[in-house]
Amino acid sequence: MPLLELRNIETYYGPIMAIRGVSLKVDQSDIVTILGANGAGKTTVLKTISAAMEAQKGSVTFEGSEITGLDPDHVARLGIGHVPEGREVFPFLTVDENLRMGAYSRTDGDVGADVEMVYDYFPALADQRKLAAGFLSGGQQQMLAIGRALMLRPRLMLLDEPSLGLSPILTHEIAEIVKRLNEEQDVTMLLVEQNAKMALDLGNYGYVMENGRIVMEDTCERLKNATDIKEFYLGMKDQGVRGRRRWKQRKTWR
Amino acid sequence: MSNPQTSATAIDGCDTLPALFRKRVADLGSKVAIREKDFGIWNEYSWTDYGEQARFAGLGLKSLGLERGDICSVASEVNKEWIFADLGVICVGGITNGVYPTDAPNQVEYLINDSGSRFYFAEDEEQLDKVLEVRERTPTLEKIIIFDMEGLRALDDPMCLSFDGLLDLGRAYAETHPEIWDNEIDKARADDLMILTYTSGTTGPPKGAMITQANMLFMMATVQRCYGVYPTDEQLGFLPLAHVAGRMFYTFAPIESGCVVNLVESPETISHDQQEVSPTIHFAVPRVWEKQFSTVQIKLKEGTALGRAAYRLALAIGERRAAVLKERRPVPLYLAGAFVVAEALVFKNIRRLLGIDKCRWLSTAAAPIAPDLIDWYWALGKPMYELYGQTECTGIATANLRDDFRIGSVGKSAEGVEVALAEQDEIVIRSPGVIQGYWNKPEKTADTIRQGWLHTGDVGRIDDDGFVYLIDRMKDIIITAGGKNITPSEIENQLKFSPYITDAVVVGDRRPYLTCLVMIDDENVMKFAQDNDVPFTNYTSLCHTKEVEDLIWGEIETVNARFARVETIKRFSLIDQLLDPEDDELTPTQKLKRKVVNEKYADLIEAMYRAS
Repeated sequence: MPLLELRNIETYYGPIMAIRGVSLKVDQSDIVTILGANGAGKTTVLKTISAAMEAQKGSVTFEGSEITGLDPDHVARLGIGHVPEGREVFPFLTVDENLRMGAYSRTDGDVGADVEMVYDYFPALADQRKLAAGFLSGGQQQMLAIGRALMLRPRLMLLDEPSLGLSPILTHEIAEIVKRLNEEQDVTMLLVEQNAKMALDLGNYGYVMENGRIVMEDTCERLKNATDIKEFYLGMKDQGVRGRRRWKQRKTWR
Repeated sequence: MSNPQTSATAIDGCDTLPALFRKRVADLGSKVAIREKDFGIWNEYSWTDYGEQARFAGLGLKSLGLERGDICSVASEVNKEWIFADLGVICVGGITNGVYPTDAPNQVEYLINDSGSRFYFAEDEEQLDKVLEVRERTPTLEKIIIFDMEGLRALDDPMCLSFDGLLDLGRAYAETHPEIWDNEIDKARADDLMILTYTSGTTGPPKGAMITQANMLFMMATVQRCYGVYPTDEQLGFLPLAHVAGRMFYTFAPIESGCVVNLVESPETISHDQQEVSPTIHFAVPRVWEKQFSTVQIKLKEGTALGRAAYRLALAIGERRAAVLKERRPVPLYLAGAFVVAEALVFKNIRRLLGIDKCRWLSTAAAPIAPDLIDWYWALGKPMYELYGQTECTGIATANLRDDFRIGSVGKSAEGVEVALAEQDEIVIRSPGVIQGYWNKPEKTADTIRQGWLHTGDVGRIDDDGFVYLIDRMKDIIITAGGKNITPSEIENQLKFSPYITDAVVVGDRRPYLTCLVMIDDENVMKFAQDNDVPFTNYTSLCHTKEVEDLIWGEIETVNARFARVETIKRFSLIDQLLDPEDDELTPTQKLKRKVVNEKYADLIEAMYRAS
């Protein structure tokens, strides 16, 4: 049984159908990635899973039970941590407070220990624990956002473009941590990325979205070698006859 | 008896196209000849503009060394430059050859070499890359002219120049050689070769049909006789110009009639452009009509119950009126009145949506069409007439006319055309439109044209009144293991009538029963899947869902019910890959190629015949 399953989701922004019948699966302990251009509907898929948006149609199943239509806080309590696009940390709260906000729904006494665990993963945050989060650098804020989601002790983490606006070194660092969290904490990851190379190196399985639909799915190994992916997402193409690449090319998705 | 192939047609005293074109440009002057949509705006080009662009293009080629009889190939979607270049080439004595923009590089190589093209017009970067890829192996090719230079600013290649560059050359050449344009036009003779049109070879490589000035002038006169085209008529130009039908309707027939051709912006915008233009005469291939029909069916499903009820009622009225009209009896007053209401409330909207509201009538050919579909358009109040022809007779051979038609037939032979049945009921044609032969393929020519009769490869019958009925392509007729003759196209047409099926190939030659391969209509089937909560990720997984298989089987069963038991389809398979015109399996008009499909999907077919 997959940890998370979407069946035929349709989500609207007003009259516009942003997700047009998306079905996908995420297995326990996997890192699954969704690739796609701007406006393809990737973020909307994550928002629909965490119930920040409501699906007009279709169902979301988590650990075998349907979670469609639940309130966002209820979904979070079930163990789905959403790391939103653009970090969205609480700028006027300190790093420490931000992390504790992540554990808001928890009633056990291990919160303090988990805060320390987050600092172990992100030593850069440990030095700033009393600083207002708004003063952190972009990379640190991203770390904080991930750390905050971690405080939920999630079974599944939804990562929305963690590499957004980060330098290549920081992107690499974030990728390493995502991998470690997956291995050491057994957190299943659903990763939305525009940085296709990072996503395909990190993930086991991948989906490609276009215009609100999934157009391709496969293991990341095989996606890396698909012609369309190489050309449109990885920027690899044999130079054409004119010694330069063509500006317009047809996609076939196979 | 006079040989019809040598008696030239004259239109307004001109027996060659260049002479007629010159006359039209002079007479029609500032009247609009062509409109083309560019970034959403319809730009107009007058006959003067048309004449000038063609002249400079032709003279430009002349300055580059074009000799009379040289071949120029054009690879482009339908656009004004294609037409300007075509007339430019023809007026200075060259021969134009159309290349489908979807042709792959190896096909481009074959076409250039087989025709011996010296000049090559490429629409844009994409078309250019294809020819550059193969130019090492095309010794005759000298110059490549590019219509659209977007993305090519840095191009520096002695073999390439832009269309604007060509016009500049022509303008300069006109200064120094003011008389040459008229001289070249005067040199044209009725029996000169004018264009090559390659026919998709289902057996062997494509063959270049040699169409002369006289062939085309005869066809232009035939179009006028069959249709009665006025200078005020508006056409929508959207079929590929490499095909004889597109070429005849958009390039040549308007030179006869002076009507306006509105060229679509791109293949993706056709239906929208058609709504805007609302042509007054419209020819399309069955696939286009099928698509329109399924658009309306899907829209109805989304509509309200009241809307659907109104549609059903209106359709019933429309069908009854059509039945009377088809027998050419006067429409009773009550029916006429009811139809006015149905038209105002329902049909008008549908026709506006489809962009056929202003059409005087609709015309279909180039592939078999389901009779039900023709009936539907009649019911909407737009009579549809089927015609029949081939590249090898430059277009039309038989046509249903407004005052002389029979539904289900392809009409009587057009004026000046003789149609007869040869061995095995093969349709044979003799007319001034029959081509001289295939370029550099004398054996193929001798095979096809025997004693002046064009052997079409189509099986048909002719009734007592001279109406021709098509049965199928000769080589496509299936003889089952039980010895029963079956015409697959009849079954396939019924299948294609379903909004969920784009195309189908029926298999069963020397087999115990019939099976078929089906290509689904992805948009409509995806919509079906969404509406019915069928999970799928992509095209392939969509084809493998049980619900979609059941849906298609349901459509097949509906069709099966209309045929005898031996003609029913027992099993089917879906082609689970989204095909695109660049794939071998499809023709440029997106029809499945029977032979290629049979070979490529041999495993699937075998599986359908393995023990059940």
